[in-house]
Amino acid sequence: MRSSPCCSAAGLSNMEERERETSRTREEPKAGTSGVATGTGRQAEKDSDADSHRARLDVSSDHFDPLLALYSPDIPLPYPNVKCFNNLAEYESFLKGGRGRAKPENVEKKNRKSKKGVPDPERIERLKKLMVNNPASEEEGGSGRKRLPRRAKAPKNVLTRMPLHAGSPLGELHRCVKERLKIKVHIRTFKGLRGVCSGFLVAFDKFWNMALVDVDETYRKPVLGKAFYHEPALTITRIFDRLKLQESESPEFKKPDKTLTKESDASPGTRKEDKPGMELRRSPRKSYSYPKGQTYTKPAEKRAAEAGEERKTQKGASTESETGKVQKKAKDKPTVDYQQVHCRHVNQLFIRGENILLVNLLE
Amino acid sequence: MEVTHSIRERTITENSLVVLLQGIHGHVTTVDLRDESMAKGRIVNVDAFMNIRLAEVVYTDRYGRATHLADFFVTGRNVRYVHIPDEVNIIKTIESQLQKIHRVRNFGGEGQGRKEYLKYKK
Repeated sequence: MRSSPCCSAAGLSNMEERERETSRTREEPKAGTSGVATGTGRQAEKDSDADSHRARLDVSSDHFDPLLALYSPDIPLPYPNVKCFNNLAEYESFLKGGRGRAKPENVEKKNRKSKKGVPDPERIERLKKLMVNNPASEEEGGSGRKRLPRRAKAPKNVLTRMPLHAGSPLGELHRCVKERLKIKVHIRTFKGLRGVCSGFLVAFDKFWNMALVDVDETYRKPVLGKAFYHEPALTITRIFDRLKLQESESPEFKKPDKTLTKESDASPGTRKEDKPGMELRRSPRKSYSYPKGQTYTKPAEKRAAEAGEERKTQKGASTESETGKVQKKAKDKPTVDYQQVHCRHVNQLFIRGENILLVNLLE
Repeated sequence: MEVTHSIRERTITENSLVVLLQGIHGHVTTVDLRDESMAKGRIVNVDAFMNIRLAEVVYTDRYGRATHLADFFVTGRNVRYVHIPDEVNIIKTIESQLQKIHRVRNFGGEGQGRKEYLKYKK
């Protein structure tokens, strides 16, 4: 069959001629025998014609005529129910069992896709009701919205992602949100610890951005200028300093002339916490990071003096005490200024995760 | 109050806490910067990268000197804190912002609206 088109095209004229010839030859004997046996002769001719015609259309016969087969209206096909292809390439890919073949999973996919188009009217209605401008559509909104949760296939947003971190440190953060635990967030400055924020966690995300409420922030501004360059030389272990700061969180060393109210607020709380750590606290205040050894040896007198002052300020003594110790403190003023520990309360705070050093859970 | 036109920015905001900051557009708040300076003013816009634009700002630099500025822009990375106004409910604000994004994404019919994600895998 493959070659037949070419064959027929090439030998078209031949075939036609042959046909004409045969027809002519047939006609001649017909004409010849017309007088004698017209009826029977013709019928015989017809029968033989029919037979030969069938033979010529039969694919398996010797007398198969492809041209006739192509043009004849009713050709007996050997396998009528065979799969048809538009071209050879299709046939080839069919044989290979190629992509997109009607495998079960593909069929399922196709069905799913066709089904996707079905909720069109539903979706369009839902969207119409979302259009705020149209008052009519807003009325429909009430009923339409119920459909929304069903349609939205597990929306992924910051709130839904919060519980997903179970088992990881962020999962612990989520626990803080759920159980409303108070947490302490250590905030960092360009070098080391800046301060601590204690509050209740409302929301967080994968960058450790956090939204806290009821926040008490205790911090110290980083030292600038020449002192900054002196500090690195003094540093031993930042962890130790962090611990020290953690123990001695409250600002006992607040400047008296600054916020009195805050001081009074802070002091009762701090007094409880920080009495034991008072001594240690001194050192970080003096310089940003203080070697352990040096804290105890170096400014022993100063420390004693300031400790004495501390106690005084804690007791809520007048802001300007006139002892010699105070004068010593006044001398220290320039250095003390930069190291002043501040405390403030913020009702709702958002912290960018980049600035967070660590989170401490207070259970 | 407008959701950004960029799909990329929308997905970033949707999956992070920047939605909260986008929800307080128009409120007067203080933004503490990384360099210990503070800017108090009205939030005009916050984008997905936490770049914040403020208007009518009192800018206190890290030394404590205050200046008044009409417009203020800070890069997201330089933000340390954003004070959330007391009257703002954090969870509700986040939810309403997420709804806005959801609305924008699903606007339009099946074949007409913004097609943000391919329906078929290539």
